[in-house]
Amino acid sequence: MKIRTAKYIVKEGILNVYKNKLMSLASIGIIIASLLLFGIFLLIVLNLDHNTRALESIPQLEVFCNYNLDETLVGDVEQAIREDERISEYRMVTKKEAFNKLKEKFEGNEDILEGYDESFLPVSFIIKLKDPRDSNEIKEKFENMSKVESVECPQRSIELISKASSWIKVISGILIAILLVISIFIISNTIKLTVFARRKEISIMKYIGATDWFIRWPFIVEGVIIGIIGAVVALILSGYGYRALELRLGNDIVSVSMGFFEMLKFRDVVLVLVLFYSFLGAVVGAIGSVVALRKHLRV
Amino acid sequence: MVEFRNVTKRYSNGTVALKNINLKIDKGEFVFVIGPSGSGKSTLLKLIMKEETPTEGDVFVNGYEVSAMDMYDVPYLRRSLGIVFQDFRLLPNKTVYENVAFAMQITEALPKEIRRQVPMALALVGLSKKANAYPAQLSGGEQQRVALARALVNNPPLLIADEPTGNLDPETSMEIMRLLCEINHRGTTVIVATHEKSIVDMLKKRVVALDKGVLARDQQKGIYTNEDKNSQIYS
Repeated sequence: MKIRTAKYIVKEGILNVYKNKLMSLASIGIIIASLLLFGIFLLIVLNLDHNTRALESIPQLEVFCNYNLDETLVGDVEQAIREDERISEYRMVTKKEAFNKLKEKFEGNEDILEGYDESFLPVSFIIKLKDPRDSNEIKEKFENMSKVESVECPQRSIELISKASSWIKVISGILIAILLVISIFIISNTIKLTVFARRKEISIMKYIGATDWFIRWPFIVEGVIIGIIGAVVALILSGYGYRALELRLGNDIVSVSMGFFEMLKFRDVVLVLVLFYSFLGAVVGAIGSVVALRKHLRV
Repeated sequence: MVEFRNVTKRYSNGTVALKNINLKIDKGEFVFVIGPSGSGKSTLLKLIMKEETPTEGDVFVNGYEVSAMDMYDVPYLRRSLGIVFQDFRLLPNKTVYENVAFAMQITEALPKEIRRQVPMALALVGLSKKANAYPAQLSGGEQQRVALARALVNNPPLLIADEPTGNLDPETSMEIMRLLCEINHRGTTVIVATHEKSIVDMLKKRVVALDKGVLARDQQKGIYTNEDKNSQIYS
């Protein structure tokens, strides 16, 4: 393709967007809507992914002793922990500490704890494993000790989260695919209207010897421009939306999930969003154009 | 230049538009293709410009074997043809000059070439003064002359006109025909499908008459009328 032809094609494409303002706006709106939906799924997946990965990197268990153990018996548990070679380090959480933590949790509603002291709480040990794959065995081992009440294993919840997140990924993948097909369909329909309005022009071009690509390119440029504009608007909207959510919920989520769950900062996801949005917008626009033209090029 | 060998065209609805046509048109000829509506005139032209493909037989145009041509080569065949239609088919949002220049833009011609060729083509059809007008501002005859200029601007060896005067009054029709003759004198082969008796009779060119898809007559210096009753009804 020669440069002057490329110039002609780009000029025609831009002119077409401008000339068919209403149709262009409709198409842009559709692209925005589908990209926003897509963005919501993407952001959920990104957040889940980030959090499971963060959790997976902490191989931790918490061993809770029976609450009525005296110090020597607690010492037995401690010794068992110390002697286990699969454990890299551990820390004892005393009854006092546990009670203070509880008080922190009920901050503002301390009266609920009125009349209680730390005695009803168990001593626990937070242990770190050398290899997180041992967690199930160790959990079993300590659960079988009579002095141990229970072994909490964030690993379990991690597994749950990662299972859930992989399901969410699959489902959102399917939804995104459906969404893309639908938006290609709708956009090709809107572009079909402009193609239909110009079908005489297209057939004239074919009669005087224009190649299919010479006719197709301006429409593709039109589709891509529509797609990119849609992507930019969708990006701005999802940026504001995410920011607002982050401000409202960011801290709540951290505190509700006791620090296990944190929202990604918008600046961490913006690049992914830009790439996905512009790529999808452009591709959807281009494919929509090509689909719309198919019938009219057969002259 | 153009050759039909045992060409039959059957449309998918069963209509046989052309039956076993053998026809040869040499370089520099001026040929009228005549016949009543439905006789196969348009199909004949469509086969030349590869809008349709023959069911049987071979068609050769400007050295291309059109009947066996790949769809990707069709644009290049059409660039070697000038095509004029009954309904002019100009781009309404482009000026006269732009309409003619567009045919060259498509072939990726140099801008210098375009600036040289377009005014020449417009001068040939006598429309230099209307270069900046839009098609809607022109009379039918003028629009057809623009279409002629567009068809000629790439200097095609073959010009095809499908009922070029069908939408024009007799006087303007003669004008267009005179132009076609002049173009023919400059060496371009011209094929005109028409059912305008007066013009055919007056110009006394080669006449190829079709009737119900059959080649009924092929006559040098022919006239429209003859024993064929159908053609008289429509003439």
